[in-house]
Amino acid sequence: MSLCLGVDIGGTKIAASAVAPDGTILARARRESPAQDADRIERTVADLVEELTAQVSGSGEQVVAVGVACAGFIDRHGESVVFAPNLAWRDEPVKAHLEALTGLPVTVENDANAAAWGEYRFGAGRGVHDLLLVTLGTGVGGGIVTDGHLVRGAHGFGAEVGHLRVVPDGLRCGCGNTGCWEMYASGSALVREARAVVAGGGAHAAYLAGLCGEDPEELDGVMVTEAARAGDPAAVEVLETVGRWTGEGLASLAAVLDPGCVVVGGGVSQAGDLVLRPAREAFARHLTGRGHRPTPPVVVAELGNDAGMVGAADLAARAVGAGPSGR
Amino acid sequence: MSPAPTAPRAEKGDDPSLVVGVDVGGTHVKAGLVTATGDVLGLTRTDTSRSSEGLVDVVVGVVDGLLTAARGRQVVAVGVGAAGLVDHARGVVVLAPHLPWRDEPLRDRLEGRLRLPVVVDNDANAAARAEHRFGAGRGEPDLLLVTLGTGIGGAHLVDGRVQRGRHGLAGEYGHMTVVPDGRACPCGRRGCWEQYASGSVLGRAAEDLVRQGRPGTTMLRELCGGDAARLRGEHVTRAGLAGDPLAADLLAEVGRWLGHGLANLTSALDPGVVVVGGGVVAAGDLLLGPARRALAERLPGTGHRPVPPVRPALLGNTAGLVGAADLAREAGG
Repeated sequence: MSLCLGVDIGGTKIAASAVAPDGTILARARRESPAQDADRIERTVADLVEELTAQVSGSGEQVVAVGVACAGFIDRHGESVVFAPNLAWRDEPVKAHLEALTGLPVTVENDANAAAWGEYRFGAGRGVHDLLLVTLGTGVGGGIVTDGHLVRGAHGFGAEVGHLRVVPDGLRCGCGNTGCWEMYASGSALVREARAVVAGGGAHAAYLAGLCGEDPEELDGVMVTEAARAGDPAAVEVLETVGRWTGEGLASLAAVLDPGCVVVGGGVSQAGDLVLRPAREAFARHLTGRGHRPTPPVVVAELGNDAGMVGAADLAARAVGAGPSGR
Repeated sequence: MSPAPTAPRAEKGDDPSLVVGVDVGGTHVKAGLVTATGDVLGLTRTDTSRSSEGLVDVVVGVVDGLLTAARGRQVVAVGVGAAGLVDHARGVVVLAPHLPWRDEPLRDRLEGRLRLPVVVDNDANAAARAEHRFGAGRGEPDLLLVTLGTGIGGAHLVDGRVQRGRHGLAGEYGHMTVVPDGRACPCGRRGCWEQYASGSVLGRAAEDLVRQGRPGTTMLRELCGGDAARLRGEHVTRAGLAGDPLAADLLAEVGRWLGHGLANLTSALDPGVVVVGGGVVAAGDLLLGPARRALAERLPGTGHRPVPPVRPALLGNTAGLVGAADLAREAGG
């Protein structure tokens, strides 16, 4: 059987896997990410390719292509990483370098695009040819599939939805602008709001304060979710707020794209219905033409942290004509 | 040795065949014979009909007339753009607020009577296709068309293909929320973009100023003959072009909101070009200048990424029929 490898290059680790044509992961490997050294990132990817190739060759599998995903701007031809916020790559010809190092055809994709593709092909949006994925993490990432094609945009900057302006003159964002969606609907927003609750003190904050030892800086998203699961009203409220903003932004995007399905991934999505129920409510309320149109389902991503790897591997398979013929 | 040269393959531009393009709007049915290079021959305009049957008859009559006018030149297909929700794959006009059609199987009905292949699409989709092929976004595969009228409509192309969405409802740009709990919109929600940046908003803003008797409204007052209720976006455009500072301010305000919404759309779609249509774009840079500045200022990563050019639409009110014809030609007419 012909296999493709998917590689997810992050700021702290590089995760790779051998992916079967049906999206199943057959083998995994990972390394620390030498994020600040452009050449070493590439050599590390090549090492991972070698390691996985050796692993699967025992069972007679052959690796035919490699798909690489990372956060950042990828040029529209999928050849260079123009800018990656967490990596040393600047206008780095990743495709050419990795092909020279591995001797295999290489596909390069933005991580959220690859994740959207993974969810579209094998995950929560399987078979829905118009799909919107948002990932709620440090920021808000996005991936768009329309009519069975990934929207990369004219310059490879498509689906960068985290900086949609949702509030005029709203909260100041690290990008320099104000009112960006990710200031309201990300994991960072969740933690910021929860820390504010703790800092405010009082009975309302007691549960969260207990979890972080009274130090707001120690509080993280997992603790907030845990508190909400235990029924802490303050934590539930914070998740509701983030969910509501998520739903409102999604409604604007749905007016533009008319997706058949909205997939929510990223750390915040692990809170499940605690965040998705308010998101769905706000989405339905703000969707234009409600009552006259079907409201697309808003569902949790199925592939979790593997979505980018699996999507990248499938995109690589299609680029070399090895994938199952999709749409 | 290379083989003997054969006749060069016919380029699209050499294709002598014609396609009938039809634009079915709320008041008129516009139609013409469209060449492979997007030229329109024999443009006609006919009053619409209030009945579903009658409107099909009008379209058939208009097409028949054009087939006769083609005088032996080969007509290979018919493309229809309709103002409403269209199920493109099935050729059905599902719902059209300004037309009598409901779930009208227009393609099948027309094909049965005209004996030609017919393609039916939404008028904004058709217009975007036309601007992509022959207009302000010629050759640009990732194009965003935003049309400012009563509301804000439009369509986008990705990799050269019009994107319709799951239910044919993509392109409702006017209903992106730009201000939480903002101005009320007839859609039942608040803060929709089209309450800040459409042609009708421009007219309404002028109307308010005239009613309040604000200083500097002399020209606007003259243009509406003293009746503020008659003020439309076009009046403001005309006053702005004539140098009226108040009108220029109104255009700049709408332009800024236009740019903010375009920044959101550009973040999502990353178009190679933004084409702005609708009557008010006659104001040119009075509107588009502030829009471009707001877009550039607002777009994340400005300085590290290209900002798409914002251009006025070129094809005006024939865009719908030209694009519908071209979609029909592409479909294999």
